[in-house]
Amino acid sequence: MSTGYAQKTSGRGYKKPKGQVIVEWLTTTDHKKIGYLYLITSFLYFMIAGVMALVIRAQLAAPGLEIVQTKEQYNQLFTMHGTIMLLMFATPLFAAFANILMPVQIGAPDVAFPRLNAIAYWFYFFGSLVAVAGFFTPQGAASFGWFAYAPLSNTTFSPGLGGDLWVFGLALSGFGTILGGVNFITTILTMRAPGMTMFRMPIFTWNTLVTSILVIMAFPPFAAALFALGADRRFGAHIFDPENGGAMLWQHLFWFFGHPEVYILALPFFGIVSEIFPVFSRKPIFGYKTLVYATIAIAALSMTVWAHHMYVTGSVLLPFFAFTTLLIAVPTGVKIFNWIGTMWKGSVTFETPMLYALGFLTTFIFGGLTGVILASPALDFHLSDSYFVVAHFHYVVFGTVVFAMFAGIFFWYPKMTGKMLNERLGKIQFWLLFFGFHITFLIQHWLGVIGMPRRYATYLPEDGFTWMNQVSTLGSVLLAVSMIPFLWNVYITARKGEKTTLNDPWGFGRSLEWATGTPFPRHNFTSIPIVRSESPAFDLNHPEYASAEARAALEKKS
Amino acid sequence: MKWNGNLFYLLTVFYLVVAGGYAIWFFISYQGFEPIGTAALTMTALMSLFLAFYLKNTAKRQGPVAEDLEDARIEDGESEIGFFAPWSWWPLFLGLFCSIAFAALAVGWWLFFIAVPLALVALIGFVFERSRGLFAH
Repeated sequence: MSTGYAQKTSGRGYKKPKGQVIVEWLTTTDHKKIGYLYLITSFLYFMIAGVMALVIRAQLAAPGLEIVQTKEQYNQLFTMHGTIMLLMFATPLFAAFANILMPVQIGAPDVAFPRLNAIAYWFYFFGSLVAVAGFFTPQGAASFGWFAYAPLSNTTFSPGLGGDLWVFGLALSGFGTILGGVNFITTILTMRAPGMTMFRMPIFTWNTLVTSILVIMAFPPFAAALFALGADRRFGAHIFDPENGGAMLWQHLFWFFGHPEVYILALPFFGIVSEIFPVFSRKPIFGYKTLVYATIAIAALSMTVWAHHMYVTGSVLLPFFAFTTLLIAVPTGVKIFNWIGTMWKGSVTFETPMLYALGFLTTFIFGGLTGVILASPALDFHLSDSYFVVAHFHYVVFGTVVFAMFAGIFFWYPKMTGKMLNERLGKIQFWLLFFGFHITFLIQHWLGVIGMPRRYATYLPEDGFTWMNQVSTLGSVLLAVSMIPFLWNVYITARKGEKTTLNDPWGFGRSLEWATGTPFPRHNFTSIPIVRSESPAFDLNHPEYASAEARAALEKKS
Repeated sequence: MKWNGNLFYLLTVFYLVVAGGYAIWFFISYQGFEPIGTAALTMTALMSLFLAFYLKNTAKRQGPVAEDLEDARIEDGESEIGFFAPWSWWPLFLGLFCSIAFAALAVGWWLFFIAVPLALVALIGFVFERSRGLFAH
């Protein structure tokens, strides 16, 4: 077994000088280290954009407040909050988990193009810096909303360097995402271990593949649209001039990217929870193939629904987009059915990763249901651009990305660092986060129904929005507090956490990452177990439950 | 590979049908043509077709591979999977100089003309790092 080897290499023979450690991180081509870089950077952006959200909530805590000095600053805050959360936190977080886990799950020593992988990271890193550098310019950062509708985003209505930096920074970071997607697809298609057929890949790897296909379909139109917007802003082009129908052109192009982008955020995190439910239910995933086909169906459909963001423009084909949008609820429902079926009659235990996965499930179902409401044009006309929409997409995106992120971090932390995070702190954090999130955003549904529009810097006492906003702000404080136990947890685990050398510290791990050393050895495996099902590590560690075929193959080997 | 090729053929057909359906439905409803969505969907179909063709063709030339066989053993795979660069400085510099060039589009041409030569140097360094010439591997 590889455990002894892992122990030997990770033993502390000597301490590397600091300079060498820094150089190793800067020049790394190791997919796991690049993954950790993605994870750390995106988590930092999560905290930064979270602080922006707190300022926004503080501003809305009472009517007529002036926490931010000007309304323009408020516009910058919500624009950059959205931009950072979507393109600098959630999208790179997909790259983080995919980088760390996908090659291990398919039994590969690295990704197909290790140096391209590093370039993808540095494009994201520097591109994001360029995009947020707007805050350090005299007029401040971009303030036209994260979807930069034309003509608001042109230089007449939004002058200033901040907007230009936003455009070109995002373009560069988008190229990084495309390169990353190409790399993941190539790796999955060409570097699987012998016997790891497509239909034996873990669900997380499947979702990485499908997400990467979505990336290469959706990001190029976005990069093109950004360059066109840049040409308008900097070089006097008239591509998005309303006189040429540019307003609709931008909205179409943006949402042709923007809606698949939502699924680029969601699918990998569906993959994470699909790995976690079976382990803590002691059952194989229920309906493996339907889950895979549902993922493909969601991805294929997600390219055809973009204009449901544009119902109120009055010039899109309402029945077509309402139909495709409602259709997408079917494969999503199939997935939820699969996850519940996995837990059904299993021996479920509630370790922190499982708690977070369940938190994801409840939150995401709410978000999905309000999505069905918003997909019907008749209802959307009333609710569009209100806080109902804000509540809806926070339920969808926070529910999937943040809950599943913590689920994944707690789940794979021992594989990444060799130490388990503290369970009690994890549970305290979960309940704070869960209640904090729901107090903040559940009330915003009603706020939207009674008519509070999104993106307004303040409101009047006569509007009757006050108490609901106060509840929401209170919840956001709780949500912010929930980060403290997590950061403390990471710190205390690094200082005092006990090392684990078990290959499979949770005891019922299924995919290949649980069959290699803890933490991962440099090229992932010292030996790879034979693959006869979608859970080779489980077959190896619990041969009494493996299929006859897998058992025969394992016995022949030993 | 073969299965993946079929997946992309399926996607091609799906997007072609959707693009056609969308254009026709729009025409019936508004007596006009909606070029943006139709073009975007058609190009998505074309990209899927391109990928499908490439994957199927590669699968045909390559023959059956160990990772697609149900009963392959680990030792059935290639013993040498490929060369993996242990480290590289070039991605960092290529990223840095490209970002300066992109920021220069927002800031001013003077910076662009400083950044582009540097980015080219980094690009050449990246491409030819560890190159031993044609067929020398």
